[in-house]
Amino acid sequence: MPEKKREKDLTIAEKLYIPEIVKGLGLTLKSMFRPKFTMEYPEVKFIPPASYRGRPVLVQEESGTERCVACGLCSRVCPSLAIEVQASETSLEKERYPVKFEINMLRCIFCGFCEEVCPEEAIVMSKDYELVFRDRSEAIYGKDKLMVPIRQVEDRIEFLRNFK
Amino acid sequence: MALKTEEMVLNMGPQHPSTHGVLRLEVELDGELVLDVKPHIGYLHRCFEKHAEAMNYNQIVPYTDRMDYLAAMYNSFGYALAVERLLGIQVPERVEYIRVIMGELQRIASHLVAVGTYGVDIGAFTPFLFGFRDRESILTLFEMTCGARMLYNYNWVGGVSHDLHPDFVPMTREFLKYFKGSLVEFNNLLSYNKIFIERTANVGVLPLDTAVNYGVTGPNLRASGLKWDLRKNDPYSVYDRFDFEIPVGSGEKGTTGDCWDRYYVRIREMEESVKIIEQALDQLPDGDVHSAIPKRIKPVVGSIYSRVENPKGELGYFIISDGTVNPYRMKVRGPSFVNLTVMGELCKGHLVADVIAILGSIDIVLGEVDR
Ligand code: SF4
Ligand code: SF4
Repeated sequence: MPEKKREKDLTIAEKLYIPEIVKGLGLTLKSMFRPKFTMEYPEVKFIPPASYRGRPVLVQEESGTERCVACGLCSRVCPSLAIEVQASETSLEKERYPVKFEINMLRCIFCGFCEEVCPEEAIVMSKDYELVFRDRSEAIYGKDKLMVPIRQVEDRIEFLRNFK
Repeated sequence: MALKTEEMVLNMGPQHPSTHGVLRLEVELDGELVLDVKPHIGYLHRCFEKHAEAMNYNQIVPYTDRMDYLAAMYNSFGYALAVERLLGIQVPERVEYIRVIMGELQRIASHLVAVGTYGVDIGAFTPFLFGFRDRESILTLFEMTCGARMLYNYNWVGGVSHDLHPDFVPMTREFLKYFKGSLVEFNNLLSYNKIFIERTANVGVLPLDTAVNYGVTGPNLRASGLKWDLRKNDPYSVYDRFDFEIPVGSGEKGTTGDCWDRYYVRIREMEESVKIIEQALDQLPDGDVHSAIPKRIKPVVGSIYSRVENPKGELGYFIISDGTVNPYRMKVRGPSFVNLTVMGELCKGHLVADVIAILGSIDIVLGEVDR
């Protein structure tokens, strides 16, 4: 066994460790008068910046329809295979729309590729980070949960236009 | 003469707060003395390497983030660099600079967690909170740029996902100014604290030849006294344009290569990172960060090994391409994984309490050990 060496040249004052403790407590005292850097979360909500990548949502136009044209690019690019799109025809100008659009929020890794690839700016990352489910089936978000009025995601779209 | 006691095997972990994740250490004990330590890994295995074979080159980026999740920026930096070398594309200057800035900020963030949690392991709780407070400012900078606080998906092959926010440069400068003072405070609080030195100096000495034989890299190797840093020894990106030092351990408080040296090398590396970021911010050129992103990534048949100096050590990507859009084989040389192997050697002859001090000083991230 190798012999263990320790620093032995401590004075009595150092051996008591009292100066060290006082020094530490001094810092504690100083910190008490500094501004707080924590947030009392459930009471005070964290409002993310426009750049934030929360859960992906489908943009809903003023008219109430989704922007998505069901091209399926997002589901192809999704690395975790979280998106399922089923296309159908519509009499609207865009000709195609998704009858079914599902994102499995248990699979989604919030990478933002779907948003990046979408040609219509129809799927964007929202600021919603509070995702809770009671069971697994609830975690599969259909169109009812995914559609979000365009007003709510305006700053994200603005951000994408500037920085993407 | 010490009384010979019966040897005992003790399992430390997998659910142990000081193992920094899910790691099980099989500790062989003779009374209080450690005879051997065997790390058992794999609790966090997510099959990254095999999974990568089923994805195209872009889709792999978010998964590289998930290896060393405390240094996600640097993992994707290394990956992007590897694929770019495989493809033979040159990224714009601005992208190189942004990557270096982000990478060094990430190095500071990763080291802050390392030294902060090391304090907790030893019994000092305040430095941990101070470390996380400062790291938070860095995460805010990342969030402002790319929208995520931990898993950024930022360094894409050929570019970066978003250009810098106009406020980024002034905010980073402000942070660096603040951080220099904060480091001094951190040093006074922990680095030169007698209790801390008592616990770490002369503990877990890693001699240089052992370190080299085990393939230890990063701050752990440098603490043993070798000036080996890929940023200088095998320069990539634009690192050759900056003026910075490589801190090495000197045995200031005990023996070269002890826990205190490993800890202190990290502190000094943060100072050096600050220098690099300051220079990079001064030189930051204009340009388009998306111009070199290829539409479709389909490398020719071939292979590449590309390595970068991740905060934990040498992070290498070995990619074999068979000419399709998916890699044929992807192998990652993870620094935490290799550094962990030296654990048994380091702990021999120490007390049980020192196992914690030694493990903390190696600074592993289990996400990358297991991949
Ligand atoms: S959300 Fe966009 S990418 Fe996805 S199917 Fe609709 S239009 Fe295509
Ligand atoms: S954010 Fe990523 S993982 Fe989630 S649905 Fe979009 S592409 Fe898929």
